[in-house]
Amino acid sequence: MRLTEIPTFQPRLKVFNRDQVLAVHTAALEILEKTGFKMEHPGALQMLADAGCTVFNDDWVKMPGYLVEQALQTAPRQIALYDQQGNKTMPLVDGNSFYGPGSDTTFTMDLETGQRRRTVLQDTANFARLVDGLDNMSFAMSMSNPEDVPIEDIYVYAFAEMVKNTNKPIVFIADSGRDIAKIYKIACLVAGGEEEFQRKPFILNYSEAISPLRFPENVLDRLIFCAQKRIPICFPSGSNAGGGAPVTLAGAMALGIAENLVGLVVHQLTNRGAPFLFGPNVSVLDMKSTVVSYGCPEWSLTQAALADMRDELYGLPIWAFAGASDAKVMDAQAGAESMFSIITSMLSRCNLIHDSGYLEYGGISSLEMLTMNNELVAMSRVFTNGIPINSETLALEAIERVGTVPGSMFLTDDHTFKNFMQAQFLPKLLDRTRYDSWMEAGATDLYRRCNMETKRILAEHQVDLKPDEVLSAIDKVCKEK
Amino acid sequence: MNDFQVVADAVHKGDIKTAVAETQKALDKGADIQNFLDKALIATMDEVGERFSKGITFVPQMLRSAKTMQECMKLLAPFFQQGTVKSKGKVLIGTVKGDLHDIGKNLVAMMLEGAGFTITDMGVDIQPEKFVHKAQEIEPDIIAMSALLSTTMPSMPMTIEALDKAGIRDKVKVIIGGAPVTEKYAREIKADSYGSDAGASVNLAKSLLGLN
Repeated sequence: MRLTEIPTFQPRLKVFNRDQVLAVHTAALEILEKTGFKMEHPGALQMLADAGCTVFNDDWVKMPGYLVEQALQTAPRQIALYDQQGNKTMPLVDGNSFYGPGSDTTFTMDLETGQRRRTVLQDTANFARLVDGLDNMSFAMSMSNPEDVPIEDIYVYAFAEMVKNTNKPIVFIADSGRDIAKIYKIACLVAGGEEEFQRKPFILNYSEAISPLRFPENVLDRLIFCAQKRIPICFPSGSNAGGGAPVTLAGAMALGIAENLVGLVVHQLTNRGAPFLFGPNVSVLDMKSTVVSYGCPEWSLTQAALADMRDELYGLPIWAFAGASDAKVMDAQAGAESMFSIITSMLSRCNLIHDSGYLEYGGISSLEMLTMNNELVAMSRVFTNGIPINSETLALEAIERVGTVPGSMFLTDDHTFKNFMQAQFLPKLLDRTRYDSWMEAGATDLYRRCNMETKRILAEHQVDLKPDEVLSAIDKVCKEK
Repeated sequence: MNDFQVVADAVHKGDIKTAVAETQKALDKGADIQNFLDKALIATMDEVGERFSKGITFVPQMLRSAKTMQECMKLLAPFFQQGTVKSKGKVLIGTVKGDLHDIGKNLVAMMLEGAGFTITDMGVDIQPEKFVHKAQEIEPDIIAMSALLSTTMPSMPMTIEALDKAGIRDKVKVIIGGAPVTEKYAREIKADSYGSDAGASVNLAKSLLGLN
């Protein structure tokens, strides 16, 4: 049997049909046109007024839908993030999914004691170094809110620490126009100048408006700065269902999208063509504890729906989350919730996916969980890649050989030897050993194995160092007033 | 059976219409206002709070009960002014300078109100001096501050310092809360206490004022 080339179908999740997409989009535009929003940044307010928005009571803005449509026309449909050595490692386009950690946890699970403790700058260093050593983690993010640096420069120090400990792209947080300028300065030092940075940007800013419908001045300072400098930015508000937004997912999505689109409009009015990631964070507020859940099925569901909205309508790369949990320790709940969001975010083709390694609804960062998720991402990729069909994979010749030649078996056939590495997922941390061997090896659970693997990577993995003069220039920027 | 069972049930269920009508009836009949407040409203809210802490009642149900109580309280407002009835204590609450996130703060305010405290909610982004001025004006028993962002946390010690300078720090209890806030931080900045969530704030406030 001779086969012509058959393209491999890669399984994909779909949540919204076109009618649903249009209905939610229309609702978002209606929020902007009829309800309006509070814009507390004078410059942005002026820009919006000049562009055709109506301003009431000093800072309440109503926005005509055509401004959104215009912004969607000018925002780029693909964003390339480079690593710090100039390689294009994160093309945010089409079906590409990239995973990485989150930011700002107050606590971390100590690798040595296993106890929850307050985060320090060294934790940011460890997470960045671990990301650098994990194949399926594509970018660094601070993962801590270090208590041992001056609070007014907390994000500058965290950024500098990441730069020193990884060469992968960095997603960063800033507070205002002041510290983001310092962070940009450090990024240019790493790239070897502003022009070099512009050609191969390796950073992306995460900023949030406040749901419902509030746009603080310091947040807009960052948005405008990023637009001017063409630093890619995502602008998800926390429109969690029941807290910042209505309890029903459709309304929470419409509100979150409306807020996201305000960001997009200001961004594109500032600098047409500057890179902007689509997508709000639409989780749920837990109705018993009032925490914003990181393990709920709803967040995975809404971001899959947002990915459909990207496909049908917006066309912009999409921001998302995965690999997080509400569990307080890395237990079965953590594994289940983590995998749920990892596989669904990949199946729905979210692009930039953060928060991997969060426990306690984002209160605790866990190095071990990041290591676990590295393997869960690999597992999910196997599934998402689908099943290639060709003469080699159908293996009719091997079947003929083994079936007709007495004493032969697939395990010894050349076809197996040649293909097994690609044909199967070969886990490193998920245990498939026989019971006795498992007992002999210490009867470890996944948490224990992730702990050991994390320690091994942190001890052995070498990160290419930046030149001394760059490092000392970075330290100077940190200390600038 | 409690004389005020119908009101209590209505507060439990969040049936505003019945609760308000029954409250009016009780007032018309000349019920002892303090007794009504304690038995019909606050005792019910204590139960609701208890059920909430145990995970039996959900937040919207608890808040609906609190809202029902607030509506009944409106009818009792004149008696507070006359001094016929007393609140458990006065609480001044707000998010600190630079912080605009108010969902947590609003929850704390509603739960404290449900527990019988009188709340003065200053809103968001409150400068230390504003806290001081308002405190001088209303003389609260407790000042409650919240921050969601680590970068706005320093506004908490600044506010405590401002209270100190104004000479009123020892006249109020200061409690703090918010995602990045910890018990250790509360000790460091010399706040009186820290609450991990809205439910905790009620017990915190009661124990600080010796009401437990």
